[in-house]
Order: sequence, then C-alpha cells, then structure tokens
Amino acid sequence: MVKQEKESANRPDNTAFTQQRLPAWQPMLSAGIVIPGFVLIGLAFIGIGVALFVTSRGIQVLEIDYTGVEQNSPCFPCTDENRKNCVCNVTFSIDTLFEGPVFFYYGLSNYFQNYRRYGVSKDDYQLSGDLDYFKAPSDSCSPYEYDKNNKPIVPCGSVANSMFNDTFKLFQIVNGAKKQVSLDGKGIAWWTDYNIKYRNPSVTPLKTAFNGTVKPLFWSKPAYELDPSDPANNGFINQDFLVWMRRAALPNFRKLYRRITDGDYAEGLPAGNYTLEVSYNYPVLSFEGRKKVVFSNVSWMGGKNEFLGIAYLVIGSMCVFMSIVMLIVYAKFKFPEED
Amino acid sequence: VGDVVLVKEDESFPCDLILLSSSRDDGTCYVTTASLDGESSHKTYYAVQDTKAYYTEQEVDSIHATIECEQPQPDLYKFVGRINIYMDNEAVARPLGSENLLLRGATLKNTEYIYALQSNKNVFLLITLLTFSTILILSWSGVPDFWPSWLGFTYLRLKDSHMEILNREDEIERFELLEVLTFDSVRRRMSVIVRSSTGELYLFCKGADSSIFPRVISGKVDQVRARVEHNAVEGLRTLCVAYRPLSPEQYQEVCHLLSGAKLALQDRDKRLAEAYDLIEKDLILLGATAVEDRLQEKAADTIESLHKAGMKVWVLTGDKMETAAATCYASKLFRRNTQILELTTKRTEEQSLHDVLFDLSRTVLRQHGGMTRDTFSGLSGDCTDYGLIIDGATLSAVMRPGQEDSNSGNYKEIFLEICRNCSAVLCCRMAPLQKAQIVKLIKASKEHPITLAIGDGANDVSMILEAHVGIGIMGKEGRQAVRNSDYAIPKFKHLKKMLLVHGHYYYIRISELVQYFFYKNVCFIFPQFLYQFFCGFSQQPLYDTAYLTLYNISFTSLPILLYSLIEQHINMDILKKDPSLYRDIAKNCLLRWPIFIYWTVLGVYDAIVMFFGAYFLFDNTTFTSNGQLMTTNTQMMFGNWTFGTLVFTVLVFTVTFKLALDTHYWTWINHFVIWGSLIFFVVFSLLWGGIIWPFLNYQRMYYVFMQMLSSGPAWLSIILLITASLLPDVVKKVIWRALWPTTTERIQNADKLYKGQLSEFTPLASLHAPLKASGHRRGSGNQRNAPNPR
Repeated sequence: MVKQEKESANRPDNTAFTQQRLPAWQPMLSAGIVIPGFVLIGLAFIGIGVALFVTSRGIQVLEIDYTGVEQNSPCFPCTDENRKNCVCNVTFSIDTLFEGPVFFYYGLSNYFQNYRRYGVSKDDYQLSGDLDYFKAPSDSCSPYEYDKNNKPIVPCGSVANSMFNDTFKLFQIVNGAKKQVSLDGKGIAWWTDYNIKYRNPSVTPLKTAFNGTVKPLFWSKPAYELDPSDPANNGFINQDFLVWMRRAALPNFRKLYRRITDGDYAEGLPAGNYTLEVSYNYPVLSFEGRKKVVFSNVSWMGGKNEFLGIAYLVIGSMCVFMSIVMLIVYAKFKFPEED
Repeated sequence: VGDVVLVKEDESFPCDLILLSSSRDDGTCYVTTASLDGESSHKTYYAVQDTKAYYTEQEVDSIHATIECEQPQPDLYKFVGRINIYMDNEAVARPLGSENLLLRGATLKNTEYIYALQSNKNVFLLITLLTFSTILILSWSGVPDFWPSWLGFTYLRLKDSHMEILNREDEIERFELLEVLTFDSVRRRMSVIVRSSTGELYLFCKGADSSIFPRVISGKVDQVRARVEHNAVEGLRTLCVAYRPLSPEQYQEVCHLLSGAKLALQDRDKRLAEAYDLIEKDLILLGATAVEDRLQEKAADTIESLHKAGMKVWVLTGDKMETAAATCYASKLFRRNTQILELTTKRTEEQSLHDVLFDLSRTVLRQHGGMTRDTFSGLSGDCTDYGLIIDGATLSAVMRPGQEDSNSGNYKEIFLEICRNCSAVLCCRMAPLQKAQIVKLIKASKEHPITLAIGDGANDVSMILEAHVGIGIMGKEGRQAVRNSDYAIPKFKHLKKMLLVHGHYYYIRISELVQYFFYKNVCFIFPQFLYQFFCGFSQQPLYDTAYLTLYNISFTSLPILLYSLIEQHINMDILKKDPSLYRDIAKNCLLRWPIFIYWTVLGVYDAIVMFFGAYFLFDNTTFTSNGQLMTTNTQMMFGNWTFGTLVFTVLVFTVTFKLALDTHYWTWINHFVIWGSLIFFVVFSLLWGGIIWPFLNYQRMYYVFMQMLSSGPAWLSIILLITASLLPDVVKKVIWRALWPTTTERIQNADKLYKGQLSEFTPLASLHAPLKASGHRRGSGNQRNAPNPR
C-alpha cells in the first residue's frame, strides 16, 4: 500500500508540457527559404540604399571653422584670452542657391560633453523649477554648487556652467551693403524639454525667483536675462540652454543654433557673399578644441549622412552576393532535400 | 539503564532498540524498514538468546543486564555490541549484531505490543516484547531458500528455532537451527548448522562454485563441476551445495570459535571471517542448483543502441565467466562475429600474465593499426569486432603495482590499450570494490572518458558512486543502488531513452544556454567598453541604469530559459530510432574551444556592428529627426542617451532574433516569450521614457525612446544593424549545413521533407554522412565508456 501511494505521489503530471509533447512548428534555415529571402532582402536594401544615398547627395552642407588657429584667419585676434567682447567677421560665398529651410549649427570638436562626471553635474529638481533647490542645489553639482561667498549657483553644475556662449549674426552682402538674415531660434530644442522637463519657477517676474542666488561662474548674464528680445525665452526654458543641456553622445558634435525659415530667406540662401559676425566668447584652444558653424538643409531622412545609404548598399549587395554563393554551393554540393 | 519501551503492532520504534524477546517462541520478529531505506519487505530480527523466554512485564523487569556497543556510525546495517546478563550472580556475555538492533523509525508489523528502554548514548539496555503472526518472506541470501522446494521437499517455516520441512511422504521433518554463518561477498558462501531430529549435527554450505569446490573433499565433484559449467554457459546462475557432518566435539569447537569471534568488539568481522574459514572445510559435495536469471526486457536492444551511439559498454558482474559470457551474447554485447579475447586465470596459468597481455595487444593492434576507429560500428561489418573477457583475479594482477621487471608497471596501460580496441569488455567474478576500481581506471585513462555506471544491487554501489554518472535501477534487490545513484530508473531499458533522447536534448540545451549567455553579454558589454574610448575613459554608462538592470533579467531571459527547457532539434522518435545521432554530440563537442570562440567572435562582431553603426550615424553628421511628433520641419539633436538607446534597441532585437534562429521547436510558449520579450522591451521603454518619474532625481530617459522612434533614419539604422548583425550567422548556418552537414542536420532536412513522418518509413542509415565527408565530424568510436553491470 505504502509503495503504491508513493508512486502515485511522485508521478509527474501527464501534461503535454511536462511530457515535452507540445505541438510545435519546426522551421529550418534551409537553402530553399534562405536564398530567395536573401535576394529579396538584398534588393530591398539596395533600393533603400540608393534612395538614401541620392537623397543625402542632394543635401547641401557648408562648414566653416572659425576657431582662429591660423594667424591669418579672421578670428585669430579673438583667441587672446585677455580680450573681452571680441567680435570677428567670417566671410564666405555661396555659388548657387542654398535651398531652404536652412539649418544653422555650431559644432565643437574634441569636446567631451559625454564625460561622466561632467554629465551628472546638474540638478534636475532645480531645473524643473523647484525653489527648494534654488537655495540648496544638489551635491551632484559640485564644484559648481555654491560660489565662494557660499551663495547657491542657479543653474548649478558643470553642464550649465560651460554653456556655449558665442553668438552669431548672418549678413548677406548686397551691393556692398550688409543685409541681415533673420534667424529663428524657436523650436530648436525638444518639445518635451521645453514644455515639461525643464520648468521655470512659477514666479513673476522671473527675476525674483533668482533672489539670493548667483549666476554660473562662466556666464556673463544671469539665466533670466539670456534672451533680452523675448521674455518667454529666458530661464531654464531658453532654447539655446535646452540645446546645450542635451549632452552630445560623442566628442565631435554639432548643435542646432538657428533656423533660417522666414523673411526673404525662407526659400534659401541665394548665391552671393555673406558675412558671419561672431561674438567670440567661448575658449576652446586650451583643450585643443575646434569651433565651427555649419549650414545645412534637410531631407525626409534628416541631415546629410552618406554612411547610412552606403551601409544599406553594402549590406544589400552582400545579401545578394551571399545568395549567389549559397546558390553555387547548393548547385555543387546538392542540398539533401533534393536527393 | 534505560526505560522499557512497549511498541505495538504497526507502530514505529521511537528509538534504536535491542530486541530481547518476542511473543513468538523462537524469539524472532519481523520489521519493515520502508521509511528508512524504502525496502518494504519484512525482515527477520532475532532476540537475544538468553532473554527470549521473558514474555511478561514482570519477567522483563527482573532482567539485570548491561550492554556495551561501539559508537554510533553512519552505516545503517552495521552494529557491533555485547550484552552481559547477570543471572544468579553469574554474568553471561552474548554478542549483539545488526540482527538484534531495531532501528528507530522502522515499523513493527503484525505485533501486539513491545516494551523497550530509552537508551543512553552508548550504554543502553532495552527490553522488547513482541508478538507475531506474520508470514515468512523468502530472501535470496537468507536461510529459507536453502532448500529447493522441488524434488519433493518443501520448506515450510522456521518455528521455535526449528526448520520444518515437508518430505516426500508429506511428513514434517524438523531440524533445529543452531548457527547461521551469514553470507558475505568475499567468502561468497553461507552455512547453517542444524541438528536433525535424530540428534545428528550437520553443517550445510551453499555458495558459488569457485568458493565451494576448493573446500570439498568428496562427492561427485567432476560430474557436478561439468554440470555447473554447462549450466553457466546457458546463462544460468549456479549455486553449489555441500555438507559436513559434525561430531558433538567438533560442534563444541565450532561454537567456541564462533562465540569468541562474535563477542569481539574490535575486528569482529575479521575474526568472524577467520572462524568461518576454519569451520567451512572438509565439505562433501551434495550437488548444484541453477536458476535462470532472465534479462530485463529489451536489454539487448538497449545495449545495441548504446553501442551504435558510440558508447563502449563494459559489463561488470560477480557471475561466473561462462554465465556472464552467455548473458553477454543474449544481450548482444557480443555478437556471433565478435572475436573473444580472454584474459582469465585459466590462460594466465598457462602463460605468464606478461605474455598474455602482449599477445592480446598485438592481436588487436594488428587489426586496428592502419585504420581509424572513427566508423560506425553498426555499419562496418567487415572489420573484426573484439570482445574482451577478464576475471577478477587477473584484473587484480593487472592492477597490482609492478614488481618483477620494469615492464610490469605498464600492464595497466597495455590493458587499457587492449580495452580501447575492443567494442565490448566483460569483467566477471568482480568483487564490489573491484567494480569501482575499474571505473576509476577508466576515468584515469588518457582520454578522460565520461563514465556512467548502472546497476541494481548493493554490490554496485561503490561503482555507481565512483562513476561520473551513477544510475540505479529500482528493482527487487533493494534500494541501495537507487539511494546512491544520481538518477534512478525503474527498468534497464529506460536507459536508452534517458541517454539517447533526454541526454541528447539536455546536452543541446545546456550548451546553447551556456554559450548564448556568454554571447549575449559580450554583445551587451562590448559596446560599453568601446564607448569608453570616446568618452575620455570616464566610465560614462552607454545604457541607462534601467536597461543595465533589466537586460539580463527581463529583456533576454525568458527566451533562453524556454529554449533550455523545451528545445527539441530532432523528434524524440528519431533520436530513439537512430542511436548514432548521439555521435554528433560526443566528446563534449558543443562546448569545446572552437564553438566557444565562434560564439565569442560572433558576439564581438555584433557588438562592433551595433556600436560603430550608431557611431557613424552620430559622429560628424547630423543624425537628426524631422521632429514630426512635435513641430514640423524642425531638426533636433540627439544626445548621448539616444545613442545608447539606439545601440540597446538593436542589441535586444539582435540577441533575441539570434536565439529565434537557433530554435527548432516553436511551441506557443516560445512564440509567447520571444515576441513577448521584444514587446515588453518596447512597452517598457515607452513607459520608462513616457513619464517624469517622481522618485528619480534624474529624468535623463524622458522621451528619449519616443524621440528616437519619431526619426526615420533611426528606424532605418535599427533595421540595418540588426540585419548586419545576424547576416554572418545565417550564412554560416546555411553553408555549413550544405557543405558539412552533421547527421543531425541531414535528418532534420529529411524530416522536414517528410513533414515529420520520417521515423515511420525512412531507412535512416541512408542519410548518414559518407565517411569521407565526415572529416569534420567530431564523433569517434569510443567517446563514452559506459561500464554496465548486470
């Protein structure tokens, strides 16, 4: 009796799962599926690649390095650190119409915005407008947490402190006279950053919220005066600030500065000579950095990027090539199912 | 010193007890130890001779005695002690053995009540009172089966120390049972001393022929010997029976010898053996019995399958050589065309062991010298099959450390070399420890084979423990083997499915599990490593903490778990039908360096594709979105978290698809976990980035995933990078399958063609790779030695 009870107690459940009898689909990577599959994928990829490549080719890009390393370059005088409020003019010409809308970037090289300790040096509570953190910023901002008088820095931290502060004005030379190209600085940052993630304290005027705090050490203007022309574009929701606060992934990067979308230049920049007036504030030579401006237009697939198109072409051709190789192997060695 | 314990019928003993008396006149009782070792048979225990007459409480109370015994020890079946009973101011010492000891937890069967004493640690006194009305269970090595029930004599029972036997005239003859010289595997015999009703004293001895014949002085020795050998050749298990009349003086001497040995507290076993040796001599041969010990069902089929699977089967048995050889033929271990090599005492008596060994090795090497053994033994009928038979005595000579000349040290090596070239080896007349010795020898040989031992008896335990894999068969011979095994099976034939089906499946599964884990973590962490070159070695994480945490436990865990539970690369029936498929996974071929390196290289390649794919899309280009989600015609920059998320998305999809490509058996659960994991990843990412999480002091993932998905180029690059990562593995699979298919793959292809009906009507042999093409095949003839006792 005991033995029988024990046996039935130990008997495993007689289910399809425990007995490994579940119905199953048993696919296999046979040549009959893989070769046509590869041809199809290859052709599709080649198609996409060609489209991407052609589109990318159609995108115009103009890059101008204005760091001023060379003695004869227009911004060379501004590289002297003792000069304040230095302005230099970079001239360039455009041969054919630079089709609009034109996007205007600044670019930095050898600049490690992805450095870990740099990246954590900010206070998200402060940047979301929490006044408690105006008085006592988070430790993560150290050493840009308090100034030497022990006053809290707002916005605190390395990222904010190092905000790019060169400004640009673009002029077209028309009959020897300078005609300013209007630049649109709205909507260059993420919508969610502007509307949700970053918030100014709900205090009017904004300036009063910053009582008892100091501006970041390297800033020339406090956060609530970043854009004198537009009161709504100040504080933590200043578009340039938002663009800067989104850290670049790699040490050579571009960030969107302005768009050229309205006025006379909505259709693009016509052929002709241009002057870029740079107010040169941002030092980069101490770390072998470079600064540049980039003008570019975009397509359905974004900015100029030949890599993606070429990669598609390469992978697509490899698929086709491999399918040919497999076909040869198939013909020569006979797959067993053909026996 | 202790309490008297009363135990009633069907009660279990509350502590270890010494049986003093039972209600039965003969002072025996029956006990089941099912709860201790699972043996449900009733075992006989004996009361101490001098106390078995005390039946009532008062009488028991009057006993004055002390007990000495050794410290407790782990072996359940060993007990050595002594009881001193003081009667009329005179101490009588009696031996106590395991036959007097009732173990705690065992159950008294069919008993009214007992008394017992709760005992102290190692001095205890115990009084038991038992009542019996139970049946007698015959036991192979017990007394009762001494008498065959044919020839007109029937053994009835043991009653009051008297064995009752019904003779041909239906009269009961009574023999008083005086002494039992118990069986052990060294002596290989047992004896009883009885007094017939007419007062004559006899010693009856039964045992293996080899242990009886040397002690026989008269009887029809030659006739019986011939008969025994004839029976053995037919595969019957033989026993010889002999007797010796004892004079009263001789009996006194015997009693003296035995009680002296039995009372010894030290070396009792040794002294008993010496005493037995002195007593069991000058025997007169009575005759022999033969019992047919049937092979378990499908034993031959199982052994044949193991052979075809490339395993070497060794049979280790205590039987006579002839019996064992007959069994081996019956179980197809030896075939008709197998050439038998004998390495037995008979031969070594004629030649020296040295010469025999060299002779044999020359014989086998001549045959196998020129050719590889990498063939399907089942198919290559033209080459000679060798089978080796060795007996225990010769084996111990082979194993003995060298003494005569320098060569003798190599005997082991030569022996192993011979064994390597034999398709089957039979070791007979093995003592239990020798079985373990053989397993050890094989394990230590230079190929380091994996050994599996299977057996059902207590004498297989040492071997089961020694082998890599020990399997016990649940049988009538007790549960010793099962209790010491790694796996227990009810029948020998189950070994086939266990090894060829489940063993194969589990090997495939575990190797994929191990390698895939390495692979997916190389894919995961190598981009992080590469990223350090681009972030000033600042330990900047590439992936968000949530991704780092959940990658292994959520996003990529269930698909591989389910794979390692239910993958079946070939149908169960085919695996069972074609044992040679086992050769595809022999010698641990799926977990060797080349495969491991392939997986690692694949992981590194995938990581490089993912990282640099994303890198070139970000670096120096405006990898930007149209931002249609937010405002039209806006270009927005992607930051470092978008970069990491892009790599991570490609990563999760790639490693999951890689597993999907490896899965041959898609049940609904596989679909559920594979697609479910991917969906979970997407849903989690949407949720994780969709909310400002109040408990987090950073919001770095906020809308990152959605922003990425709003970008056309991001979609295009995800698709591209996944394809590029998987491409080489798919090509490798297809080309390898065409150029160097394993038998497994051929059968998979064919099975596909026949839509799963393959096993029913295809001769699988036709699908086996021709020998030439199997150059890459890892399998070889002797991957796995499976000593296999009978």
